[in-house]
Amino acid sequence: MSTETEPKPLPEFDVVATYRRILKDDPELTMPVAAIEALVEAIAQSLVSTVAETLALLERHTAALKASIANPISLSAGTDLFQRYLITTLNRPASLNLGPDDDFRAIRNHLLSNGKLFVERAKQSREKIASFGKHFIRDGATVLTNGGSRVVSALLRRAAESSTMRFKVVYVLPSSDSSDLREGHQTIADLRANNIPVAAIRDSAVAYSLGKVDMVIVGAEGVVENGGIISRMGTYQMGLLAKSKGKPFYVVAESHKFVRLYPLSQFDLPIEQKVLDFKVTGEVKSKEDEQKNPFDEAIADMDSKGAALNAHDAVDFTPPDLISGIITESGVLTPSAVSEELIKIWF
Amino acid sequence: MSEPPATEAVQAPATETQAPAINAPALANGDAESTAKKVSPAELKKLAKAEKQARRAQAKASDLAPKPQSGPSKDGQKQQRDSKQTPKEDKSKPLPIRRRPSNPNVPVVKEMEKKPKKETKQTGLFFGHLYSQPKQQSMNGASKDVHPAILALGLQYSSYAICGSTARMVAMMLAFKAVISDYQTPPGTSLARHLTSHHLSPQIEFLKSCRPLSISMGNAIRYLKDIIIKIDPSTPENEAKRGLLEEIDIFIRERVTAADKLIRDLAATKIEPGDVVLTYAASSIVERAIIQAHNAGIPFSVIVVDSKPLFEGKQLARKLANAGISVRYYLITGSSHAVKDATKVLLGAHAMMSNGRLYSRVGTALVSMLASAHSLPVIVLCQSVKFTEKVALDSIVGNEVAPSEELLSELERRDLLPLKSLLPTSKNKEKAGGEDEKADTADVLKWIEDSKNLHHLQVLYDVTPAHYINMVITEYGSLPPSSVPVVHRLSTNA
Repeated sequence: MSTETEPKPLPEFDVVATYRRILKDDPELTMPVAAIEALVEAIAQSLVSTVAETLALLERHTAALKASIANPISLSAGTDLFQRYLITTLNRPASLNLGPDDDFRAIRNHLLSNGKLFVERAKQSREKIASFGKHFIRDGATVLTNGGSRVVSALLRRAAESSTMRFKVVYVLPSSDSSDLREGHQTIADLRANNIPVAAIRDSAVAYSLGKVDMVIVGAEGVVENGGIISRMGTYQMGLLAKSKGKPFYVVAESHKFVRLYPLSQFDLPIEQKVLDFKVTGEVKSKEDEQKNPFDEAIADMDSKGAALNAHDAVDFTPPDLISGIITESGVLTPSAVSEELIKIWF
Repeated sequence: MSEPPATEAVQAPATETQAPAINAPALANGDAESTAKKVSPAELKKLAKAEKQARRAQAKASDLAPKPQSGPSKDGQKQQRDSKQTPKEDKSKPLPIRRRPSNPNVPVVKEMEKKPKKETKQTGLFFGHLYSQPKQQSMNGASKDVHPAILALGLQYSSYAICGSTARMVAMMLAFKAVISDYQTPPGTSLARHLTSHHLSPQIEFLKSCRPLSISMGNAIRYLKDIIIKIDPSTPENEAKRGLLEEIDIFIRERVTAADKLIRDLAATKIEPGDVVLTYAASSIVERAIIQAHNAGIPFSVIVVDSKPLFEGKQLARKLANAGISVRYYLITGSSHAVKDATKVLLGAHAMMSNGRLYSRVGTALVSMLASAHSLPVIVLCQSVKFTEKVALDSIVGNEVAPSEELLSELERRDLLPLKSLLPTSKNKEKAGGEDEKADTADVLKWIEDSKNLHHLQVLYDVTPAHYINMVITEYGSLPPSSVPVVHRLSTNA
């Protein structure tokens, strides 16, 4: 307690700024890993000296981080995981092989080095996934994919590296003119540079192209407890179409993207999306319809500046029954195995 | 003319209590046996049994002489009485229910004389294997070892006064507390060795004879036995007993009270403004979750779907309505309309099987399938104490058959009475002339039992495939049904 009240050299460590900087510095980093890195840095810079203080600090920073971005689902996977890890290590200091006389500083150092290790491992996991996943692509196959997932790109690149394999990619471009579209063109250029024939289609052409497609591979923002995924808007419909045509639908995701979340439907996500926006002409500026409808998807929020989550970076939920397999760095899981993995982490 | 009323007199009371004339010697018999049971091996038991059977068969033969063919109902009763007095024996001999109607009517052994006759009517199609033990409805014939608290509890079970998997389990554990505190280790044995096998098992047997044990009760008993076995034999009796009572309290607190609270809070967050929550029959935990959400100020309404014969949903609907929630009440026949208005389905469970299937009140599968067809999320609320390592593929292999007479309420029976003249048996018709004025509602059941092609079946549970369940909420959090075995392993090992 005394340490908290004495000197305060770093009164407010800006975790959000750190997080942003980390993300910008390393474009290869995913949100959960960046969040964990930011939190590790926060602990390193702070002067906490007790377990309770550490956890309180962590909680404060996590809340700040979550509040700072519009869609904290992916981020919360990282922060939750780190918090869980901290709690288990802090509650069992004996497992750190520290003597009873060691002070908290030793525990903290251990935590920090382990946190760094975690980040390292998370970065490596992408390559590991690529090496698992490339076996799913057969010679002569056509793969349908979307989004700007770096894991998917890594996987496709890795598959292309082996000279025995020739496959084609159908890439679904987002319809809106947004940063996603730029990202999409970037991904396509990248794949083509790796000698992979890529066909770009609009998302309205998914069903049309599906007959020529052998498998679907998508990335995910978060993998939820029931084995479903939260991913860029449009993934759900790809899943539905793939299921109806009997095409395997694989998800590629690092296991730090597993979130403790159990959505029952599209509208059961912990974020508010302004996708469904009911209007009649002339009503555009009115705000009173906000109170009228109890369903949040129907609330027409005109304050588009405040609502950072616009239709183009919205997400949807793909239920587990549409997913054939989830390729992670710890192996290829069925959707139902996700919950087991999460239980292992949390209990 | 004098004959039918005479048999009637024997039969009618037999439905409720037993005919005193037969009862007295039988009781004595039962006592003699229960004492013999303790010391003698199976051979002795068999002998005594055969003897008794022979005696009774003779008595009955003279009794039955005028009406040999109307056997089933009466023999059914006899059979019931039989096993009541000797609940232990039923296990040791080959299952009587396996006998098929194809069996010859001619008795092969004297002992079996009345069995084939009883089975002239097939019991409940392919549910025949479930008719193992007729339900114990009275304290008669209970072993003298059975503790009064257990006797009372057993009757509450069989009359559905205590109903619902959790309630039954908790009531049983509380009754066991009474049993344990009244227990005294006989000299020469240790509590750890004696209590389970010699003192608890008769109690459990009696409860089982009143109504088959629920999965949760089985789990609780296993837990208790495990604790008893682990007691150090050198522990003083008083201390050991105190420890056991404490353990039972802890068990109830951790696995039921605290779990209920966690599940309730978690489930309440799943109820959103504007929801229409559909539930089937009654579950204490569903009720609590709904009330919790209501108290949190969420505007939503509830549809209770219910069915005969227990009408558990009526109570639930009343309680929820009294709490100020808008409730609609449907019978299961109207469930296809009910699901159209619903947005979510909350279900209670009797048990969750290891293959993710839900074992719950009969009708649950129907409701969840309907809901699933309307793509409504189906959420099961279930404490992990109800998880079992068993798997169920259908509702036939493992189920509970309740006495089929419960299927027809007194009122419905009365409604059927005027149909008497339409009965196919001409013999009955002739007799009807004499009996008309004292038409008894119990007769209706007799007609059904007498008729060859009409079965009366009441199963209590059914199995919902995991495919129709979106989420299982336990005290460990929400899971997909496929994770049931993981959590079960977790909760039994931890």
